[in-house]
Amino acid sequence: MIPGLKDQAKLRVVIAEDTVLLREGLRRVLTDAGLDVAGTAGDAEQLLSQVAAARPDVVLTDIRMPPTQTTEGLQAALEIRRRWPGTAVIVLSQHVETEHLFELLAGDPRGIGYVLKERVADIAQFTDAIRRVAAGESVIDPQVVSRLVARPRRDSPLETLTEREQAVLALMAEGRSNHAIANQLYMSPKTVETHIGNLFAKLGLLPAAEDHRRVLAVLTYLRQ
Amino acid sequence: MSRRLAVLTAGAIAAAGSLAWSGWPPHSDYLPILICYEVIGLSFLVAGIAAWARWPASRLGLLFTIAGYLYLVPYILVNLANPVAFTIGNLSQGIYTAAVAHLGLAWPAGRLRSRFECGVVIAEYVTAAGFSVAAIVFWNPAFSGCDASCPANVLLVGDGSRPAGNAINAIGGFVGLVLTGIVLTLIVRHWRSARGWSRRAMIPLIWLAGAVGAEQIVTGSALDLPLSSLISFGLAPLVMLAGPVLFVISTVRARTAGGALGAAIVDLEPGASPGRLREALARALGDSTLQLAFRRPDGTGYLDTAGQPVEVDRPDPGRVVTRVVGSERAVLVYDQGLELEPQLVRLTAAAASMALEHSRLQAEVQAQLEQVRASRARIVQAGDAERRRLERDLHDGAQQRLVTLSLALGMARDRAAADPELGSLIESASKEAREALTELRELARGIHPAVLTETGLAGAIQALVERSPVATTITAVPAGRLPAAIEATAYFVVSEALTNVAKHAMADSAEVTICQRPGRLVVEVSDDGAGGARPEGGSGLRGLADRVASVGGALRVDSPPGCGTRLKADLPCP
Repeated sequence: MIPGLKDQAKLRVVIAEDTVLLREGLRRVLTDAGLDVAGTAGDAEQLLSQVAAARPDVVLTDIRMPPTQTTEGLQAALEIRRRWPGTAVIVLSQHVETEHLFELLAGDPRGIGYVLKERVADIAQFTDAIRRVAAGESVIDPQVVSRLVARPRRDSPLETLTEREQAVLALMAEGRSNHAIANQLYMSPKTVETHIGNLFAKLGLLPAAEDHRRVLAVLTYLRQ
Repeated sequence: MSRRLAVLTAGAIAAAGSLAWSGWPPHSDYLPILICYEVIGLSFLVAGIAAWARWPASRLGLLFTIAGYLYLVPYILVNLANPVAFTIGNLSQGIYTAAVAHLGLAWPAGRLRSRFECGVVIAEYVTAAGFSVAAIVFWNPAFSGCDASCPANVLLVGDGSRPAGNAINAIGGFVGLVLTGIVLTLIVRHWRSARGWSRRAMIPLIWLAGAVGAEQIVTGSALDLPLSSLISFGLAPLVMLAGPVLFVISTVRARTAGGALGAAIVDLEPGASPGRLREALARALGDSTLQLAFRRPDGTGYLDTAGQPVEVDRPDPGRVVTRVVGSERAVLVYDQGLELEPQLVRLTAAAASMALEHSRLQAEVQAQLEQVRASRARIVQAGDAERRRLERDLHDGAQQRLVTLSLALGMARDRAAADPELGSLIESASKEAREALTELRELARGIHPAVLTETGLAGAIQALVERSPVATTITAVPAGRLPAAIEATAYFVVSEALTNVAKHAMADSAEVTICQRPGRLVVEVSDDGAGGARPEGGSGLRGLADRVASVGGALRVDSPPGCGTRLKADLPCP
């Protein structure tokens, strides 16, 4: 089942975060934002049992959790995707590094989010990200993308992109749809498509109709 | 020494005098033979002096000298044209063979080994003297073709009897032959039972024994072969000469043994194993059976360098034990014959002591170095662990709190929508919190990259490259996990190198290559910048070299001005 087909009226969310204060804060914020917090967990094991019990639409998990404080959340997210493929997952990270991101996206990028933890402060944006992954989009933190885009390169076709094209590319990498890009950049969807066609030609990428394939292709290109 | 010189001088004067006295040339037909006898006799005297000088503790020198005089004097006396001298000369002509047998049996210590051998030697002297006396009574010089010019035989009874003399000579020859056989058998037994130094020391004796044996067989058996006179008067004296000459030569060579010892120690490379030291000492000492033994660590006996137990308190027969000076643990066990060369043994023991002390000091330094290396590695690892802990504390503590604070501020801002002034205050507080989080994240990453512990070298290097302000490519990096200390070292090498590239190199691009080779990890970072980086300058590179050395690796910086910089760390990696 593709997450996007789910009725979005009352999204069911499970939160995994080992800091009690933050976990409770998130629960409150999300409940206030009209989401149904179906369960909370303090570690990966609890998370898996909560997901098995509540079968939420979206799982929100910190990467680092007890007992080893390394990548338990990430492993749990991969496990959840394996066992319940329709479940959307947002991983909260404190790293701008992309190693974990690619591990996460490697399977199916639909309904996957990789968001820096501090994003929770902007509640509107954060709930929007939850709704997007629940709708089957990919959400990649803008700061992670902008670091990738801004990397110095030599003799790269990226340098030949216009400013507009670069902006379009970054938004694609964040997992935005053409429609969202058009809205954000105040362009017509037609113009967005033209830009995308041009920059794909410049980068030598094959145009991909589906957004989720596009995200992976663009991110992989940027990471090289 | 002067006493020996006097003995030799007396012998030489006597020999020369005898030739002059007898009216030069006395019997011109026999002159070459006469000179030959003189040379043989003198050679025994010289060998006697050599033996005295080489082995002062041995009576070998005395025996050589006695044999030399017993050989020489009768010939001198015979030529003195005096009846008494002539008679004594003829009487004593064969006694030297007993002295030579004595010499052979007492070799090399100058002492006879058993009562039986004493008996054999006494029998040799008695036989030689007895049969000479018995024979001379019947010997008329005229029987030997001597005319009236010959001095008279003062012991002659009547006109003498040729058959009686011949019979006595034949019996005497036979008895002598039997005794010679016994002596030669004993010598061969000595030779066969001798090992190491003693066996080497017997080499000239074996020549002498062979020569005497041959001569005795020819003359004693009184064979009337056409060649017997040639052997008797030509070959036998020459072979006879070989014994003393060989002995003197071996003595000269032995004198260089001290030098050989020095060379052996000098040739011994530093830290040579005890086995090598034993070989060097055995070579220098000329005793292949030399053992270098060490007390076992538990104090229960000694083991030699081949790991065989050695009985030090009750050595095997023919073996002697000497403790190595300055070492409570080491002893030398060698052939008893070497007691004749106490100086050489002392030198050897001293050399062994020096070499062992050298090895001990070297092992000590090595052990200390090993300790220092291990403690350096531990310090670095402890530092790493501490940084990891610090990073984790920051993450679990301050960072989480700041995130929670941000969340609370976000909630507050949403609720303050009615009050724009409060809203903007909260917004700026929120911005501060965000920036604090970013700074804290960078700080934590600098202290220890979590991604290294979490995903290994590949992810961590990728992260470094992503944040490098200079275009950097990764050409190779091992995907699997490596020992934590090696991963951390490789990471810090790349991190420091890329920092330097960004700060100093003025480079357009850089390249990171990490290759796993058998037992090694080679980390290379190169750039196309200005070059001219000096490994000794700047604490960054020096610290990096220390860090690489802490895991037993080596750092090389290749940075010719104008040609970029190549930093290469070679790390041991199982």
